[in-house]
Amino acid sequence: MDLSVNNIEKSFVGKQVLSDVAFHAHGGKAFGLLGRNGAGKTTTIRIIMKVFPADRGEVLFDGRPFGYSTEKLGYLPEERGLYPKKKIIQQLSYLAELKGLGRSEAIRSVDYWLDRLGMAEYRNRRLDTLSKGNQQKIQLITTLAHDPDIVILDEPFSGLDPVNAMLLKDVVKEQIGQGKIVIFSSHQMNYIEEFCDDIAILHHGRIALQGSLGAIKRAYARDRLVVRSEQGEAIKEAFGDACTAREDKSLLIHLGSAGDKREGMRHIVENFDVDEVKVFEPSLNDIFVEYAGDGAQEVDHEAV
Amino acid sequence: MRQFRKIFGFEFKNYLQNKVFVGVTVVLVAAMAIVMFSPRVMEALGSGPGGAAEDVGAAADGGGLPIMLVVGEGEQDAEAIAQAFSGAFASYEVRPYYGDAEAVREQIVSGEAACAFVIESPLSYTYYVGNLSMYDSNTMVASEVLQGIYRQNAMVESGLDPQDASAILEARVSGTIENLGMDQAQNFFYTYIMIFALYMVIMIYGQMVATSVASEKSSRAMELLITTADPTSMIFGKVMASCLAGLLQIVAVFGSALLFFHLNSSYWGGVGIVESIFGMPGYLLAYMLVFFMLGYLIYAFMYGAVGSTVSKLEDINTAVMPITLVFIAGFFVSIFSMTGGDVDNMLVKACSFIPITSPMAMFTRIAMTTVPAHEIAISIAILIVAAIGIGVLSAKIYRVGVLLYGTRPKLGSLLKSLGEA
Repeated sequence: MDLSVNNIEKSFVGKQVLSDVAFHAHGGKAFGLLGRNGAGKTTTIRIIMKVFPADRGEVLFDGRPFGYSTEKLGYLPEERGLYPKKKIIQQLSYLAELKGLGRSEAIRSVDYWLDRLGMAEYRNRRLDTLSKGNQQKIQLITTLAHDPDIVILDEPFSGLDPVNAMLLKDVVKEQIGQGKIVIFSSHQMNYIEEFCDDIAILHHGRIALQGSLGAIKRAYARDRLVVRSEQGEAIKEAFGDACTAREDKSLLIHLGSAGDKREGMRHIVENFDVDEVKVFEPSLNDIFVEYAGDGAQEVDHEAV
Repeated sequence: MRQFRKIFGFEFKNYLQNKVFVGVTVVLVAAMAIVMFSPRVMEALGSGPGGAAEDVGAAADGGGLPIMLVVGEGEQDAEAIAQAFSGAFASYEVRPYYGDAEAVREQIVSGEAACAFVIESPLSYTYYVGNLSMYDSNTMVASEVLQGIYRQNAMVESGLDPQDASAILEARVSGTIENLGMDQAQNFFYTYIMIFALYMVIMIYGQMVATSVASEKSSRAMELLITTADPTSMIFGKVMASCLAGLLQIVAVFGSALLFFHLNSSYWGGVGIVESIFGMPGYLLAYMLVFFMLGYLIYAFMYGAVGSTVSKLEDINTAVMPITLVFIAGFFVSIFSMTGGDVDNMLVKACSFIPITSPMAMFTRIAMTTVPAHEIAISIAILIVAAIGIGVLSAKIYRVGVLLYGTRPKLGSLLKSLGEA
């Protein structure tokens, strides 16, 4: 399975919201759609979900126009919300039925997910009697109960405690393992880094950067080493200005060029008692700030 | 279509599970039962031991009926007039009284008597009463009785036999009315009730649709719904469900009233208003259904579309105000022309073809006057076309409106984004 978003443009009441947005998401892989508030993420998702049409461009599924009646979509909106006064089982099966399941099939699937997420005891409770995290899990069931081919998760981890976050991670990995297309939209870069093979960063309605996360990281000059050692002071002394301390107490050593990498590593390992030495790669956080920060360049940048 | 059915079912079930909806319906049906059974209950109580004692005692000590005093010019006169009055005033106990005007006043102020007639001459009297009610017709009756007595006396004095004189006075003219159109006095009450029911139901259920849309939006369930179902199914499902719920409530309330009336119809004999209401012709009920359905749809679609443009429930009252005002104006055109007695005036005629006022205006005309069939057909056709048109347009507004949060969009920008979506 393969979802292509081809050169989408959209404007609202004269204001250009998206210009020339294009990316591909593949089945069995998670795709991260990043961007600051107002960058156009939700609009892009809504166009994929056909809430409104794009002014130009198209969305293709396996190379043909997206069939909304044949392909199933599951969407977890960032703004969570269901019917507060309704019983959980009632609204979940209603929504699953709206998405095409039969009555008994819907109830069976909802019960499976309630059980899977440890929510079976709340089956006949009203939604507004649940805690925020539990409501979040209920919302996740509306996304997955009808076994969609494409799963779109907007800030799925916000508001979850570590245990529930772990549960959600398992579920997401399971969905990816089933070969589904999973699209993530989040500000929590650690989760994106953990799940997503491919990313696209939206900035002012344009794609500022996209490609495979590994390739993007490797594209940065590999001329710095991260060292973790008990002999920090000695290393600092030996390298002088080329060595700076990082926030997590590790050391960052600037080499002359990427070519000095092997020599530098050997030197450190031979002369000091080292716990860890590796080539410095920027975190997704660093990359995000670089491409979507206030000082980010407006030009399109294709890393790979 | 499948989605429409699902949404319709879900929304309709919401009404049936809504405690307020069920409660109001039960209370209204109970109220109908109380009203309709009341004469039977009162009669049952009246013929019980307490009631029987009252009947006997009333004559003896006057415990039951209010007292009317009659003061004549002389002793004999007062008694004769009192006798004539007790025949005419069945709901009073008429007593002759001997005293001056001051004593009469005291009797009334102290509550001993309800009212008094002080006869000053054969053709003049003063009526004393504690509180003059709006419907007090005692003076009319008294004048008639006194006139009769005066005329009879005059005839006898001029040589006529007393029996001939009373025969002449009692002669009555008989006539029958052959009404070729509508009897507005007969139709007035049920037309009034039905117009009012139409008004209440459209207003209440229309607001319910608006609130339901706005609350889905404010609870953000809309985010999910809009990506799950298409907006046309959503708004049509909602409106149709509330339409059916409203219809069900009307049928329950009026149906039970009708049933209770028939169970007690023998006790209601002689109460003209009630008999006229339940003697309503069947075709009018059919028209009522047609105009209710179409009128309701038009307003519910508008309410739904407006509901989709507000983000907070608090804003809904201001947002629906224009629709409500138009609706109230339409209501008053119908009501005023009914009470004014001129139903077929130009204004009502015009209103009976404008979709937003025609449900009430045309219904009033059909109920109160004779309307040519083609005018009814045209009015209904316009209504159907308008209902479909407004339905489609409201689905479009809804699609745009539900995604707009923050300040309510101006009409202009809403129309602009309608064009773009």
